Amino acid sequence: MANNDINILKVLEAKNFQIQPGKLGTVAIQAGGGKHRDALKALLEVDEKTAVTAITGIDLGDNIGVYYHVRTSNAFATIQCEVPKDKPTLATITDLVPGAAFHELEVTDLLGVVFVGHPSPGRFVLPDTWPEGVYPLRKDFKPSEIKFNPPSTEDVSLSDDRGLVKIVIGPHHPALLEPEKFAVLVDGETVKNVEPRIGYVHRGVEKAAESKTYLQGVYLVERICGICNSCHATAFVEAVEKILKTEVPPRAKYIRTIILELNRLHSHLLTLGHAGLEIGYETLFQYFWRDREPIMDLTEMVTGNRVISSSLTVGGVRRDIKETDIPKIKATLAALRKKIPFYKQMYENEPSLKMRMQKVGTLSREDALKLCVVGPVARGSGVDIDVRKDEPYEAYGEIPFKEIVYTAGDTWARMNVRMDEVEESINIIEYALDHLPGGAYRVKVPRVVPPGEAVNRVEAPRGELFYYVKSNGTAFPERVKVRTPTFANIPAFLKTAIGENIADVPPNFVSLDPCFSCTDR
Amino acid sequence: MIDYLWLVFRVLVFPGFTFLLFLTMFCDWIERKIEARMQNRMGPSFTGPSGILQPLADFIKLLTKEEITPNDSRKYIFRFAPLFAFSVLVFALCFLPIDGTSVIPDASFGGDLIFVMALISVANFLLFLSGWSSSNPYSSIGAARVLTQFLGYDIPLFLLALAPAFLAGSLTIATIVDSQWIPFVVLAPWAFVLFIITMQAELEKDPFDIPHAESEVVAGHETEYSGGKLAFLKFARDVQIVFGSSLITVLFLGGANGPVFFGLQALWGTLWFVLKVVVIIIISEYMTVLFARLRIDQIVKANWKFMLPLSVLSLLLTIGLAVWVYPMV
Amino acid sequence: MGLPYGVISMAKKNFLSPIFSEVLNHLFKKPATGKYPFVKCTPAEGFRGRQVFDIGLCVSCGLCSRDCPAKAIEMVDVNGKKRPMFLLDRCIFCYQCAESCPRNAIKSTEIFELATTNKSDLVLKPQPLDQKAGVSNVA
Ligand code: SF4
Ligand code: SF4
Repeated sequence: MANNDINILKVLEAKNFQIQPGKLGTVAIQAGGGKHRDALKALLEVDEKTAVTAITGIDLGDNIGVYYHVRTSNAFATIQCEVPKDKPTLATITDLVPGAAFHELEVTDLLGVVFVGHPSPGRFVLPDTWPEGVYPLRKDFKPSEIKFNPPSTEDVSLSDDRGLVKIVIGPHHPALLEPEKFAVLVDGETVKNVEPRIGYVHRGVEKAAESKTYLQGVYLVERICGICNSCHATAFVEAVEKILKTEVPPRAKYIRTIILELNRLHSHLLTLGHAGLEIGYETLFQYFWRDREPIMDLTEMVTGNRVISSSLTVGGVRRDIKETDIPKIKATLAALRKKIPFYKQMYENEPSLKMRMQKVGTLSREDALKLCVVGPVARGSGVDIDVRKDEPYEAYGEIPFKEIVYTAGDTWARMNVRMDEVEESINIIEYALDHLPGGAYRVKVPRVVPPGEAVNRVEAPRGELFYYVKSNGTAFPERVKVRTPTFANIPAFLKTAIGENIADVPPNFVSLDPCFSCTDR
Repeated sequence: MIDYLWLVFRVLVFPGFTFLLFLTMFCDWIERKIEARMQNRMGPSFTGPSGILQPLADFIKLLTKEEITPNDSRKYIFRFAPLFAFSVLVFALCFLPIDGTSVIPDASFGGDLIFVMALISVANFLLFLSGWSSSNPYSSIGAARVLTQFLGYDIPLFLLALAPAFLAGSLTIATIVDSQWIPFVVLAPWAFVLFIITMQAELEKDPFDIPHAESEVVAGHETEYSGGKLAFLKFARDVQIVFGSSLITVLFLGGANGPVFFGLQALWGTLWFVLKVVVIIIISEYMTVLFARLRIDQIVKANWKFMLPLSVLSLLLTIGLAVWVYPMV
Repeated sequence: MGLPYGVISMAKKNFLSPIFSEVLNHLFKKPATGKYPFVKCTPAEGFRGRQVFDIGLCVSCGLCSRDCPAKAIEMVDVNGKKRPMFLLDRCIFCYQCAESCPRNAIKSTEIFELATTNKSDLVLKPQPLDQKAGVSNVA
């Protein structure tokens, strides 16, 4: 359904926007004085797949920049607004794009920009005891001067005024492997409402990245998420390489692709198993995790560690793939490929599994578009977005592979997307190994990066991962913005959980493949 | 005097309390080991030979842990429900002829099958109380699920238990066992299959382990329990599993019946009994690993739509056969 | 012969989930899990375990300490020269230090069992290489 004929340049030119082609994606659009809504409207009119990927807030001195990063079916644009620091208000875009709600809340929390008309303003990532008027991502913020409010001693009520019981899932709960809170209001066994609260493990990586050199920053962003660590590293180093205008040698591109796909493989197998656990299917869980283990061993062999690969760096990769390792990798992948028909048949034929997964958490295509979901969640609802296809990076442009799309939109479809992608990943790695170019795997890059800014997107296992990096001519970045896929996908859960059985909450939620250490950064 | 000592020995040591404790732990171990192997894991391996002492170690470990009673709980019920559930189940086990006769000799009476089945319901009700008394939202949902599930599945369980009773022409457990020179599993296999499935629901095992679905309601009715109380609650569950398997053994597999080669008949009887219980446990564990946990609404629907009509049909079929066909052969 | 077999295989393909037989097969197979603490496992070649520091090669340039993203290297005085001291409780095992070192004085080992109840066990003080053990500065 990708409509390649839409030229957003022309569309925006017709509306008299000041545009800079090639900067921050396809174009950068200057939109002062609340005109960001007009630009967004213009894009939404011509392209139904227009979605807000992220909203970056940035301290520009006297002003605060608010950048709306927008993806359309064939382009990636950035709408730039500026608001004065002493009166930072801006009209909300949640009425146009409901999926932008979380992004706006985050900018409010971290930079103090007030979005007028936001449907549910309030604390989102910062702790409840955080003082008013202190915004950590502003440059004048001094951590030593924070005075926390005393924690509230109010009793948490476990039922609301209508007499519905409030079940609190999280911050500690067996269904969630990481701390995040979802207060689920239930009537009997039916979910009436879900209130999310994130930020329990917020580590301020975006702020910390400003105090690490680019070299060290790679290791920092890699640790945002253990599972998709190399995706974070790739997204960051590519953005830096864009600013540096460095061309990475082809061998490095292929090795990166292999590492990324190994990452995807073990991440998908993890989720597929985890979903089994959530529906009480322990056997499936054990089998998936057993088959995931060889992939972890491969990652260890290729990168030097089972989980955190630490093998990407600005200018290439840190470690070559040894010729002697290639047959081993191929053998392991072939063994995994043999197991796939078994799992596919399970998904096709196992009655209890289908009873728990089909028609659970159904997200329609319209809602998927409106809520700006990404990755397998979007592809399970029939929205064909995949950064590897839409904006090929590394070696993906040269490697043939299928984009998996299911249309049912339920938990079962999302899991099947991952199941098929496992097979595609094996194909990609095998192709990359067969076509591994020779030559250097790394080029030398300067430590000091010239002033500039870049956006970059990577298809992480959980979906589109977005990075914005701005440099100021030193060895330290000025601003690093990370938008993780789970952050974009949580609204889908909040929408689909309502009206379903409380027993459907865990499988539905896990089908998003939620990763909170990503979400909280 | 000797008689009294004998009685005390039987109640406290063999085949009574002590034996049942160890049987339960043994069955727990079998269950864990089989499940692990089916899932390509090792299971308990290091405590004792092949990890056979693991259940004991777990039990002792729990006993040594701190006990917490939540402020809002109904304290007496909260404290005693696990103990009562445990004792009711052990008491119920005493009516089953483990070594040929029931634990207390001559305790068997006419219609004790009905009595034993009623004891299961009491035990389940106690589990419900344990959850309800802890006043925790997870526990209350778990407890409500216990009640929904058991009330529903008690009916087919009763109906299905009547099949062997009809075949034997008696509601007395001893008579039912004695009349199984051909085990009833051969005469009424359909009832056996349905009974095992229903028992699976009664024992809260997959695909029916909804009351303590850990991904939804943490540990269900057990959520607030800790230390010794948790130990007994868990142990009550294990005893329940042994009890369920023993009941199936008694009703369909001929209890302690089996060839006696030499020596004491009671020992051989016990051996056959335990072997049959283990077989049942393996079958039920097989079912556990095969399926995902269903939803409570799906289970309730399955009960009224399938289990109940099927158990009625099975009962009718069994009665028909017992009255007209089997007497002829 | 042909017909029943065909029916069975069709049933297998279309209705029966394959898990019935898979589970039974595993009952008689070796478990996939390893008896880890009793049977050791060896990481792959090139694994980034605990560092070994060769004091003989070090030229006290301090690059390792400067580039360490986790601030896990402190330069301490040994016989009047600055040498790196590794604080393994902070180390993230990225091996940027080894990469930055101009003299290759920092190398990796396959030692990964670093858990301890005593934090001071995790400090690798710069000491001369113990020739016999082949591994320097065992804490
Ligand atoms: S491995 Fe990384 S974190 Fe550890 S000391 Fe070296 S540079 Fe620092
Ligand atoms: S970088 Fe190498 S030579 Fe320089 S101080 Fe560190 S260990 Fe010594």
